[in-house]
Amino acid sequence: MIELIVVLSVGAVLFGIGIYGALSQTNLVMIMMGIELMLGAAMLNLVAFWRYLHPEEYSIQMFVLVGMTVMALEAAVGFAIATQRFRTKGSVEMEEASDLKE
Amino acid sequence: MGGNFIIVMNIIRLSILIILGLGAIWFAWRVFMTSSMVRSALSLLASMAILGMMFLVMEAEFLGVLQIMMMATEMSIMAIFMMMYMMDPGGMGNMDMSHQKKLSIGTSLVAGAMVIVAVSFSNWETIATEVPTPAKQNYDLGMELMKRSMMIFETAGTSILVAMIVSTATALPFKNKKDD
Repeated sequence: MIELIVVLSVGAVLFGIGIYGALSQTNLVMIMMGIELMLGAAMLNLVAFWRYLHPEEYSIQMFVLVGMTVMALEAAVGFAIATQRFRTKGSVEMEEASDLKE
Repeated sequence: MGGNFIIVMNIIRLSILIILGLGAIWFAWRVFMTSSMVRSALSLLASMAILGMMFLVMEAEFLGVLQIMMMATEMSIMAIFMMMYMMDPGGMGNMDMSHQKKLSIGTSLVAGAMVIVAVSFSNWETIATEVPTPAKQNYDLGMELMKRSMMIFETAGTSILVAMIVSTATALPFKNKKDD
């Protein structure tokens, strides 16, 4: 019981740090790092649920694999947007991205 | 004798999990606290690798090794992109790269505290003490992928293909026809 609570609490703190990063950073790559941290925390929770609650249930491990896929996809599409933004505007600062509204 | 051994092993495993968890939190914190971008990418790599180690301690061998391998490559690529796109990648100019600090600190504290409260006051079911052996885990996960979760697995594969096409199309140079 204590192990499960410890692991889930670590996941909660990592999720909090991820939210801080995603909201406070101005650079697109740093925002992506915050999102990666949140996804990592979610995967830690899933593995803890598998290990301590349902070790015979493999759909939870499947969910972790989907989480890893989402991390990779987020990085790929994020970097593509960063590349295009850098080509056209010369920076990936998201405070300057308000010109997308115009 | 056997009972004592199990208790000692449980205490050792709990201590390792706590130490690894604190390490993961420390490196995650360093990601946003250092002004050098390479350091911040490497801190994220360390944090994710420690998560992989925690998976290994929790006896999910396949997922642990996969996590460490994937994050090692992903974060190395991220470090290269950061060098390419950041205005001050070495952190020599001490630029402030953050905004809306109060809002973000408040939101993260509230979210983290809410999850910790929910975790602490939940009535967890019976905790499993034993997990299947690594070989059985891999076999059963393979069976899960090929049987019940086949559709999810294929959807993940298709999503990767779509993301590859989308990211290539997005990253191509934008050509304005008027300039030709």
